[in-house]
Amino acid sequence: MNMRRRDFLRGLGITATGLTAVVTLPGCSSMLPPLPTFGGPDGDPGLAWLRLDPEGRLRLVSPRQEIGQGIGSSLRAIVAEELGVDAAQVELSLHRTDEIASVGSTVGSQSILDYARPLALAAACLREELITRAAARLDVGRAEVRLDREGARGGDRNLSWKALADGEGLVLDADHAVDVPLRTFATGPKSSIGRSLPTDRIRDVVTGGALFAGDVRVEGMLHGGVARPSKLRSELVAFDADAARAVPGVVAVALLDDAPGVVAETPMALERGLAALACSWRTPEEVTQDAIDAAMDVDADEGGLEHEIRGDRVQQDGPWTVDLRVDVPMAAHLCMEPKCAVADVREDRANVWMGTQDAFYVRDAVRKALGLATERVVVHSQRLGGGFGSGSLWWPAVEAALLSRAAGRPVKVTWSRSECFQRGYHRPPSTHRLRVRVGEDGRIQDWQHRFKSGHVIFTSAALPGWLQKATSLIGDFGVARGADPPYSAARTHVEFSDVRIPVDTGPWRGLGAAPNHFAVESAVDEAARATGRDPVAFRIANLEDPRLVRVLERVAKLAGWKEGDSTRGRGVACGIYKKMSYAAVVADVELDAKDGSFRVSRLFCAHDCGLVVNPDQVRAQIEGNLVWGLGMVMSERLGVAGGRIDADAPGAYRVPTLGDVPDIDIELVEVEGDPPTGAGETAIVGAAAVTNALAGRVGRPLTQLPIRRGMLRAST
Amino acid sequence: MRIDINGSAVEVPEAWQEARLLWLLREHLGLVGTRFGCGVGACGSCTVHVDGVAQRSCLLPVAGLEGRQVTTIEGLAADDGTLHPVQQAWVEESVPQCGYCQAGQIMSAAALLRSHPDPEPDQVDQAMAGNLCRCGTYARIRRAIRRAAEASR
Repeated sequence: MNMRRRDFLRGLGITATGLTAVVTLPGCSSMLPPLPTFGGPDGDPGLAWLRLDPEGRLRLVSPRQEIGQGIGSSLRAIVAEELGVDAAQVELSLHRTDEIASVGSTVGSQSILDYARPLALAAACLREELITRAAARLDVGRAEVRLDREGARGGDRNLSWKALADGEGLVLDADHAVDVPLRTFATGPKSSIGRSLPTDRIRDVVTGGALFAGDVRVEGMLHGGVARPSKLRSELVAFDADAARAVPGVVAVALLDDAPGVVAETPMALERGLAALACSWRTPEEVTQDAIDAAMDVDADEGGLEHEIRGDRVQQDGPWTVDLRVDVPMAAHLCMEPKCAVADVREDRANVWMGTQDAFYVRDAVRKALGLATERVVVHSQRLGGGFGSGSLWWPAVEAALLSRAAGRPVKVTWSRSECFQRGYHRPPSTHRLRVRVGEDGRIQDWQHRFKSGHVIFTSAALPGWLQKATSLIGDFGVARGADPPYSAARTHVEFSDVRIPVDTGPWRGLGAAPNHFAVESAVDEAARATGRDPVAFRIANLEDPRLVRVLERVAKLAGWKEGDSTRGRGVACGIYKKMSYAAVVADVELDAKDGSFRVSRLFCAHDCGLVVNPDQVRAQIEGNLVWGLGMVMSERLGVAGGRIDADAPGAYRVPTLGDVPDIDIELVEVEGDPPTGAGETAIVGAAAVTNALAGRVGRPLTQLPIRRGMLRAST
Repeated sequence: MRIDINGSAVEVPEAWQEARLLWLLREHLGLVGTRFGCGVGACGSCTVHVDGVAQRSCLLPVAGLEGRQVTTIEGLAADDGTLHPVQQAWVEESVPQCGYCQAGQIMSAAALLRSHPDPEPDQVDQAMAGNLCRCGTYARIRRAIRRAAEASR
């Protein structure tokens, strides 16, 4: 059985355009939780994204969220390419949910893949319509009209953009949809595609402009917050609403679904009001790390696991070349922006401002919480201070909406950093058992990978209990990502179970790609080491995909890889991300064998994501992913202690700082004619390059993350 | 009580005198460039200058700032809008991704270059160690600091 995302989504009744079968059952839609928007755009939605305003300015309402991936500049470049203008002339705004039809979550590096074509088409349609208009105004044939940064020219006359707009502008509709060649996808030199543009609003970023939800100001806005239990999975017993109301500056106290909330005039009064509630909680069953570890232990299960990714029967008889246990802990997103939303709820309508990866999902959640019709709720997308999979979390928007209704005024809810740790969802932990058998000829004969992971897509954070049970029948495709190895073994068997644990887990950067590629690349590297082969050559000998071979060869060249490097502090890892993008990474590490400390002194990456719209943004994503890989390996671990998540602040959950990150050499591999894919998470497949480098130095695999000094100290 | 913020004397109402500087700046004065990242001084997003020295405004009680000079990201550029060399370098090196931590990064870098116009790599690592960037823009931050240092010479 092959894991096919669309098949099981259809099984749930979810398609690109929304719910189907389940919604038609009477009384059912209210049972459903809000759900994220899946899938790419239908029809010609791009026609609504782009227009010429009455002043002659090109306005693009971005169908994608700005979460730091800089997609906006790529979208502007596509419009500029089709129209023959400068990207700087395309003004981009983040969408309100009443401006455009529903678009899929900004996740999974799908934006260029799914949106480049419809956007280019819309821009081309605009171009053709403007050429028609210009031809009429200039009294020349269409073939003589040219559009450029100044406007339209034909014959020896020209029209400015403002003149072209003619006081009315131009909004596209279905009549304007034409089938014309798209410059974006043509071969040959381009004017905007392939140029590096900095992230949108960079000047506001460096001068402290208003960009994020926390910067929004609505007249009469108050500060809201919700009381939290000190332990996970707790129930409210009692609280003192009167005491909270008596605090000067507190405007309202309200019981939300499972906890009381306070609204106050200042953040200081809010804090005092929350404390005055003096909530008491009951914790029927405390969450423990031991229980999580036991549930996650893949070796505790000798029998078949729930879901199969590759189904060959491997040879069980005979020794294995590699028999590895890999442990990847739970991890936090630690976006620099704590979750925040502003809501202004009136009798019959609501406005919400939030940085998010899915404004339509937020709208759905808020409208359900308020009992309003969809069109009565408008979500105003803000820039998101880091998404990485956490940006689908809508609870602050619902909290702000309910508190705004209670207070009768706009309310801003800003989660504390502690709330982000205790109340957010996290990357699930996983354990893996990999067994590999290599033949005399250096070819992999048997590859067996069994693993257990907490949920990713079917996160308990978003799904009620009954839907969680239903989804148990279907493998979580987020968990599966990256586990299908690119190596051609004679027999490959990959299976997994997704395990419900009492901590909310969900999408983290790359989803399963981070832990699974780490496991795969650790195993293949150990196979090379155990058979005395160079890890680059060994991989190439067992690969068929020419694009993966190519990035491996390129990174080896970039790094100046030589035979024997793998024992001298150099490691390699590679992978195919979501069957669409390719990366290979070499890491140089310096190890102090006496105290077991190490640092990564250099990183190299060769990266192929097809046609590159904005090279600088792709490089930025590669750098970011390499840093996430460093964090995974060096320090990141989230656990449970005392019945709560064991971190409340960045100091307790360590992520890389400036001094941890070396110079990074990147080569973008592009072949003319390849369509664009996505860059977002691809380079995270290279996390194992660091542990492989260390393993080569100490002579044994390192597969329990994060790597601790004790694992590296030379034995006495 | 009065605090000098970006060259102007600001009157602090009584209710705000018990606040931390971060909230006074953001919620009372509308200076939103100084960002809230953790509230415990562990991430650097809230970095401002107090008498030219980088400080985490989430930890600073307003009450202790009488007569001190506070500079925020909004006060770094010149009055005519000319960017500070660090801001300019940040643009030229295309440093930001999501941008949330960047004002704090810039303030720490500007304070560093003020006291160490030609810093050693170790000094840069140390001075910037408290400014986290989850998007991972560190390699560019390092280049931008080098560029700003060179531009100022």
